[in-house]
Formats: sequence, structure tokens, C-alpha cells
Amino acid sequence: MDARSIIASLTDRFPEDIYDADVESDIRTVAKVKPENVVDVCRYLKDELSFGHLCCEFGIDYPDRNEIEVVYTIGSYEHPVVLNMKAVLPRDDPQIRSVVPVYWNANWYERETYELFGVEYIDHPNLKQLVLPEDMLGEWPLRKDYKGYPNKTAKNLV
Amino acid sequence: MEEKIPPSEMIVHLGPQHPMMPGPFRLNARLKGESIVDSEIDMGWIHKGIEKILENKTYLQGITIVDRICYLAAITNEEAYVGCVEKLAGIEVPERAQYIRVITEELSRIQSHLLGMGEYASFLGFVSMFMFTIRDREDVMTLIDSITGARVTHNFLRFGGVKDDLPEGFAQDAKYVFENLRKDIDSYEELYSTDDIYRGRTVGIGVLTPEIAKDLGVSGPPLRATGVDFDIRKDEPYLVYEDIDFNVCTQKEGDVYARIQVRLDEMRESMYIIEQCLDQIPSGPLFPEGTPYGKRSPVMRVPAGEVFHRVEDPRGEMGFYMVSDGSERPYRVKIRGPVYPTLQALPPLLKGVSVADIVSIAGSMDTCTSEVDR
Repeated sequence: MDARSIIASLTDRFPEDIYDADVESDIRTVAKVKPENVVDVCRYLKDELSFGHLCCEFGIDYPDRNEIEVVYTIGSYEHPVVLNMKAVLPRDDPQIRSVVPVYWNANWYERETYELFGVEYIDHPNLKQLVLPEDMLGEWPLRKDYKGYPNKTAKNLV
Repeated sequence: MEEKIPPSEMIVHLGPQHPMMPGPFRLNARLKGESIVDSEIDMGWIHKGIEKILENKTYLQGITIVDRICYLAAITNEEAYVGCVEKLAGIEVPERAQYIRVITEELSRIQSHLLGMGEYASFLGFVSMFMFTIRDREDVMTLIDSITGARVTHNFLRFGGVKDDLPEGFAQDAKYVFENLRKDIDSYEELYSTDDIYRGRTVGIGVLTPEIAKDLGVSGPPLRATGVDFDIRKDEPYLVYEDIDFNVCTQKEGDVYARIQVRLDEMRESMYIIEQCLDQIPSGPLFPEGTPYGKRSPVMRVPAGEVFHRVEDPRGEMGFYMVSDGSERPYRVKIRGPVYPTLQALPPLLKGVSVADIVSIAGSMDTCTSEVDR
């Protein structure tokens, strides 16, 4: 299965939900997905297009556009194509459905995205902080407007 | 786990400081008698915020930081990071530099497996094995040291090349070390396969089936021990791995013993790769000619774009996702470490096993908490 047929199959199946789909090279494809139907798209990717391996899931903050992008990097054990699928969320209230029912290992990735970016995952089995201490919840340190880093004292020293 | 538990059960905390663990994480195990009903991993003790630090460093400074993600796989971490920038900026690496990178990366795989394997034996009470493997590892570390100038955090790769050439007489040194190492690996294999106590602790313990391993997102030796030949070096070749002959080492059983066996085989395969590299390595420049890239590359601006680049770490699939906005600093870097999903797969794997096997199963995953926490 090559990159072009994967993208064609995906856009045929979900004409409403998938947009900006493109083939970057033989092994890299990109697409954007409407946040409401991300679980259905992921299930189709896993069952029909053999994208069985979620490499990672994370957020990117764009304060200028007032958006947070959630990126799903999905690979496969059968073919070498990797799909970078993005869901664009509003920055003031980022909410998206959890893909844990489809990809089991999304659990920790989603918890980490939640504590670092404040993306709220609906129907996540155990949405709480993972690597940060409890009192840091709500500061969203990986957002671009986080004030705690670089640390003031360290900045004066360097 | 804050819910009320029945009086027949109890919660035991393993860690965060526990001799089994190469770094601090805590395993909260709910026990019923000797067997585990449920467990949960609590981590974050050494969260360093490397993703945030990288956003605030220039591209060149980042190389030093990614070394510190996991000290056992520093070169492969650098490879994933440098590979991202090279893809974004369209830099071609000269062939000699690619061969040198492959040599250092495979050496790093050997030393990581030697430590992981020896440490694992010491978890099972077989401490002399740790002494044997750490002795061999020292020779391999000396080889890496002679190329990169550092034992652990190398800071060796540069955009478009490598910092230094191979030292004089490296091929002879490597030949000498590998000759001894091959003999020692054979003897370890014999020890492992004949020792009844070791076999009793490992054969049939912690079995993963291919379907479950794929579902849990495990990669590297734990996945290959189940029979899935997933290896980024073959599936998505980078550097000169396409021109090199090697096998992806797999086993069928998926138990703890098979994982250690995969590591033993991979070390032999890595030595074979390095020997081919030393035979085939062409002479030539270490950096692309006619470009500003060099040992001290200037403050560089990388064209805007996004890239996902992955390499085969000693522990599995290491990937970097990098977003550049055209400035001298990366806009966002996501580090996809191999141990993160492997460690996450521990609680379902531990369900139902006895307390004594926790160390055996968790140790066989060769986890690196430093990389999980980042």
C-alpha cells in the first residue's frame, strides 16, 4: 500500500472530516481531521489501512492563530508510510475525544498533552497529571505564554 | 488507586528508589496474597522539561541537550535530532560521515545491551554476570571514547557530518575488542541457556504475544522477541543501512528469556555491521563541501516546516517531531522515546504474576526512566 492510495482511500471514506490531505514523500503523508470525528477516522485507519502503530500524540501551541494543534503520528507494521494527522482546536477551550479505545498506548500521551497544554480529552479513562507535580496543573508549561521558563534567576546568570 | 480495597488485599509501593530500577519511578502494586491484582505506574521524579528547553536553545546547542535524554543511547538520540534538522534544511551528509555515524551508533547499541543484560542478571541475584558484562562494556566504551572523545554524553554529531574522523588504528582496535567480545557473548549465551535457576526465572515468564505487543505499542527487543520483525533500520532505512547486510534478530516465544536472547543476537549483528562499515568506508570529507556547515556551524536558520524522523535506538523506535518557523530556534520539538510505551505496557503485563516476577519482567524491558520523563 503506497502513500497516494492511502490518502485517496482516506479522503474518499471521510470527505467531510478530512481536509488538507497531502503526500509529502513516499513514506510521509499529512492530513487534518475535524476534532468531532477523530475516533472514527482512527478506527478506520487501524482496521482498514493497517495503521496499527501510534508513534506518538502531542500538542503544538499557536498563540498568534489562537489555536492548539493535536498531532497524531501514526505508523504501521505492514507498510512504511507514516501519517501525521492534525486536529485543530480553539486555544481557549481545547476539547477532543480520546482515542484510547482505538490505540491503547495513547493513554499516557493524552495525559501528558493534558497537563502540558491543557487539552481536555473527553472519555479518557484516567485523565490526571503524569509527569508534573500536582500543584503545577493549570499552568500548562508547554504553551508559548508560560512565564516560568526560562527561570528569571537563571536568565540573569547566563 | 484511592478506592477502598478489601481487607484481603494490600498495596505495596515499589520505588521510587529501588535497586531494580535504572531511574526513579514508582510501581504501586495491589496484591492479593502473592499475586498482583492491579498495578499503576507513578513517574515524573526526574522530569527535566527537555522539550521546553530545546525550544529556547539554538539548533546547535540542542545537540548537547538531547545527549542527556538517555545516557545509554546518546548517539542515537543525537542522530534522531540531527536527522530532523538535516531533513528540514536539506543537508546531504557525505558518505564517510554516514559510515562513522553508523559505527558509533552500533557501538552504542552494543554497550547499552551489555549493560542492560548484565544489570538484568544482577536483578535476579546473578551479580557476577554484571561484573562480566561491565568488563566487556568498558572495552566498547573505550572504542567509543577514542572516536568521540567522551564516554557517555558524546556531543559528536553535527549538522551535515560528524565532529571528528576515526582515530588512527581504529580498525585494529575494533578487531581486537570484537574477537574477545564474541567469545564472551558465546559464553554468556551458554551460561544463560544452561543455568537452571536463570531459566526457571525467565522461561515462560512475562509472555507477550505479537498481537498484544503491537496493541500496546511496544517496540525494540521486547517486540522483536515476539516474532515481529519491526526494525526502523530495515523498514525506513536512514544513513547507509541500505547498503549493509544484516538480519533483524527475532525470537518466537515472547517471554523474558527471548528478550535477552534478542539482545545477545543483536550485539553479534552490530559487530558484523561495524566490520562491514570498516571494510567499505570510503575516504572523503566529513562535511558537505562548499557549505557553511562544519564543526562550529554558525547560528543557522532552518527553513519553516515540519518533519518526523525516527531511528532505531537500542531500546526501540526513537522519533523526533520538529516544527520550525524559520528562526534560529525550533518552534516545537516532540521526543518520542522507545521506553515510554514499553513502560506503559508494564501494568497489563504484570496482572496476575507473583511478586517475585515483578523484577524479572520489569528488568527485561530494559527501561530508562530518564528517557521516559525527559
